Amino acid sequence: MIDYLVMGAGLSGLMSAYAAVQSGHRVKVIAKGLGALHWGAGSIDVLGYLPQARDAVVRRPLERLADLPANHPYTILGPAAVQDGLDKFMRLTEELGLPYYGAEAAGENLLLPSPAGALRPAFLAPAAQSAGTASDDAPMLIVGFERLRDFYPELIAENLTRQGIAARAVKLPYELLSDRRDANTVQLAQELDDENRTERLAEFLREAVRPGERIGLPALLGLARHAQVVTRLALAAGAPVFEIPTLPPSVPGIRLFNTLRAGLEARGVRVEAGMEVIEMNAEEGVIRWVASETSARPLRHSAERFVLATGGILGGGFMSDHTGRIWETVFDLPLTTPQSRSQWFRPAFLAPDGHPVFQGGVRVNAAFQPVDAQGAPCFANLHVVGGALAGCDPLAERSLEGLAIATGMNLLKE
Amino acid sequence: MHTTSWHSVGPSLDECIKCNICTSYCPVSAVTDLFPGPKYSGPQAQRFRESGQPDTPDQAVDYCSGCRVCNEVCPTGVKIAELNARARAQIAKEKGIPLRNRLLGRNELMGRIGHYAPRLANFGLHNAVSRFLAEKVMGIARQAPLPYWSTDGSFGAWFKRTQKERLHARQKVVYFHGCATMYYEPFIGKAAVAVLEHNGYEVIVPPQNCCGLPMLSNGEFAAAEGYHQRNVNSMAGLARGGYPIVGTSTSCTLTLKEEAPELLDMHSPDVTALKMGVWDIFEWLRELHEEGKLRTDFRPINLKLPYHAPCQYRAHRVGKPALEIMALIPELEIPESHARCCGIAGTYGYKTEKYQIGMDVGEELFQFVREQGDDVTMTACDSETCRWQLEHGTDLPSRHPIEVLAAAYGLYDLETRELTSQSNSM
Ligand code: SF4
Ligand code: SF4
Repeated sequence: MIDYLVMGAGLSGLMSAYAAVQSGHRVKVIAKGLGALHWGAGSIDVLGYLPQARDAVVRRPLERLADLPANHPYTILGPAAVQDGLDKFMRLTEELGLPYYGAEAAGENLLLPSPAGALRPAFLAPAAQSAGTASDDAPMLIVGFERLRDFYPELIAENLTRQGIAARAVKLPYELLSDRRDANTVQLAQELDDENRTERLAEFLREAVRPGERIGLPALLGLARHAQVVTRLALAAGAPVFEIPTLPPSVPGIRLFNTLRAGLEARGVRVEAGMEVIEMNAEEGVIRWVASETSARPLRHSAERFVLATGGILGGGFMSDHTGRIWETVFDLPLTTPQSRSQWFRPAFLAPDGHPVFQGGVRVNAAFQPVDAQGAPCFANLHVVGGALAGCDPLAERSLEGLAIATGMNLLKE
Repeated sequence: MHTTSWHSVGPSLDECIKCNICTSYCPVSAVTDLFPGPKYSGPQAQRFRESGQPDTPDQAVDYCSGCRVCNEVCPTGVKIAELNARARAQIAKEKGIPLRNRLLGRNELMGRIGHYAPRLANFGLHNAVSRFLAEKVMGIARQAPLPYWSTDGSFGAWFKRTQKERLHARQKVVYFHGCATMYYEPFIGKAAVAVLEHNGYEVIVPPQNCCGLPMLSNGEFAAAEGYHQRNVNSMAGLARGGYPIVGTSTSCTLTLKEEAPELLDMHSPDVTALKMGVWDIFEWLRELHEEGKLRTDFRPINLKLPYHAPCQYRAHRVGKPALEIMALIPELEIPESHARCCGIAGTYGYKTEKYQIGMDVGEELFQFVREQGDDVTMTACDSETCRWQLEHGTDLPSRHPIEVLAAAYGLYDLETRELTSQSNSM
C-alpha cells in the first residue's frame, strides 16, 4: 500500500507529492484531467493585492502576509513556512533545469507585461519571463507574428508606452514559426525546438532589434529545448530575449507541468491523468480508499493518507447546480461558500471586493485537515491543499500559485 | 456526491470550457493540417450536427485516430473521442463504407480465411505485387505493417489439442483471445494460458467472435452490434457466475467493457454483466497481486526493455498495470515511453491517405526507443497492432508483457516465442 494518494495534478498536488516523496514516502498522484497549470501564465503569484486594498499592488508580498485575515491559509501556515515553501520550489525548479527568479530587489513583486500590455505583479517567474521586468529601463521591442491569434504587438507596445515603458512593435512572417496553415502555441513551441527554425528566427530578430533594446516574444520559445532556444536567440540577436505569456493553452505552464512531472517520476511517483474519483470509503473517520471511474468497475486506490488537491470552483474541485448548491466533489466536505445563488456574486462584474462564490472553500485546522462546524477534523487522514481552501480569494488576491506551493510543500509540516 | 462522468457522450460537450488543452496534446493535429484537432472536430462541430441533417459539418473528423489522448487530458470530462467516433459513423451511414474499410473491419474473417493455408496467404498478402494492388485498388498503404498468419495453426486448435495437458482446478478464469491471437499470434495466448495456470487457475475458452472494434472504428455500427450481441450471448452467463473474463488484447477488452455498449447504445442486463466481468489481463493480475495471490517466483531477466502503454490503456483508465507487474521482475529495466501514440491506432495507419500521418505520429515513440541506446534489442507493448507498428518503425522485435511475464516464470522463450518444456510438463 502507498503512503500518500494525491488527488489532483495541478501545482498544489504536484508540490504535495514532492513534499511527501522527499520525506521518504510512497506516493501516487491521480487526476481527472490536466488543468490549472495549462491555463496559467507559468509565473508564481504569491500576493498581488490585499483584500482590504484591492486597487493597490502589493510591493513586498511576504511582508504583508501579516495583514491577511486569521483564517487565510498563509496565516495558518505562518510567514516562515510560506518563505520556506517558495525557497524549496526555487531549488527544485533550478535542479530540474527550469529556474525561476524573483525581482532584483529581493522580496519585491516583479511587474511583467501581460498579453494586453498591462503590468501584472508576479513574485517568481521563469527565467525567460523575468527579463521582461518593468524595473529594468531598457526599451522593449515587442515581436509578434502575422496570423498569430491573440497576440498583438502593437497593442502591447502602445499600452506599455502609456505606462511609461519605452516599447515599439514589429510583426514578423508567420512562416518563421511554422509551415503549417494553422497551429496553436504549444505546437509552435515544439516547432521552435528545431534548431534550424531557431536560427532563422534569430536572423530576423537581429535585423529588427536596435542597440540597447530587449526583445519580447510570445511565450512559445521551445518546449523540450526551451533553455537552449532562448539562449540561442539572445546570442544571435545580441539582445536579451523575454517571453510574454499568451492566452491558454499556456506554454510556460505546460513546461512547468512537464518539468515537475518528470522530476516526480524520477523519484518514483506516478502521475496518472484520466482518473476521476467517484467513490470513497471511510471507517470510523479514517478513509480506507477512494475509487476512480474506469471503463468498467471503479478502480480502488488505498493509502495511509489522502491529499485533496482538486482546486475550487475553477479547478473543478467544487461543483454547483442551478439551485445554488455548491459541493466538494470527492468527500462532500463542508464548505464556507454561500449556498444560495443570490449570494454568489456582488452586483459589479469587476467588484473590488471580489465575489463571495470564489472566496468560500474548505475550512481546515492547523494541520490542514478539513474540519466541521465544531472545528473537529472530518477525517483523520485527509489533508486539503491549494485552491479548495477557505479564507482566501486566489484570483482577486493573485495568490493562486503561492498558495499551492506553500500549502503543498508544507504538507508534512508538524 | 456526483461528478461529471455520469454524462453520456452527447451532453458532455456542454462541459467544454474551450481551454484547448486537448488540441495541444492531440498527436494527429500536431503533424497534419488535415485535422484541426479535438476541440474543433469534437465539442465544437458537434453543435452543428443534427440527426437527419443532410451534410455533416466537417469531413475532417475522419482523420481523428481515436487515440483518446484528448479524453485523458480534458480537465472537464468531455468525451471527445466518442463524439468523433459517432460523427464518423454518421458519415459512414450517409456516404457508404468503402470496400477497404469493410475489409479492415473484418479482421476475423481475414484471419479465418488465411489460416487455412497460411503460407500461401502470407505470400499472397505480403508480396510487392499484391501490396501494390491493395494500395491502388483499396487504399491500403503498401508499406503498412500488416500481420502474418500463424503457420503453426490457430490458438484455438492448440488449445483443443492440448486439452489433456491443461490444468483443471477449482479456480477458473475465462480467456478472451481476440482475432489477432487466434490467427496471427497464437503464442500470445499460449503465454497467457501458461501464466494463468502457473497461478493455479484453470483456463476456460468459450466460443467467441471478433469484439467488433474494427467495424466500430470504421463506422460500421450495425455489423458491430451483431458481433457484440453474440459475444454477450456466449459469455454473459460466465460473467454472472463470477468468472473473471480476461483478455490479452487491450482493444478487445476495451470494446467489451465500454466501446460497444457506449457507442452502440446497448445497455441490456446481459451487456452490462459482461462489461463488468471483463478485465485486461494485467489489470486482473495486478488485482491478484494486491490480494497477495500472484506468484512472484520470477527468474531475473537481464534486459533493457522500453515499454509503451498502448492508447487503449488510456481508455481503460486503469493506469499502467502491465508496467506495475513487470516492475516486479528482477533485473528487468523498463524505460517507460511517454509518447502519445504509436500512430497505427487500430487500422488507421493502414490506410494510404493516413499511413504517413501514422508514421509521423509514431516518430515520438520511435525516437524514444532509439534514445534508449544500442543495447536495446526488443520493446514491449500490449496491443498487437501497436507492436507491429513499433517493429515497423524501429526494426526491433516487440513483445506483449504477458510473454515477458511467462518468460520470467520460466515458461516461455522470449526469442523464439515458444513455451518451454517446463510449461508443457506442468
Ligand atoms: S482521439 Fe486522438 S486523434 Fe482523435 S481528436 Fe482525440 S487526441 Fe486527436
Ligand atoms: S480539453 Fe476539454 S474543455 Fe478543453 S477545449 Fe478540449 S474538450 Fe473543451
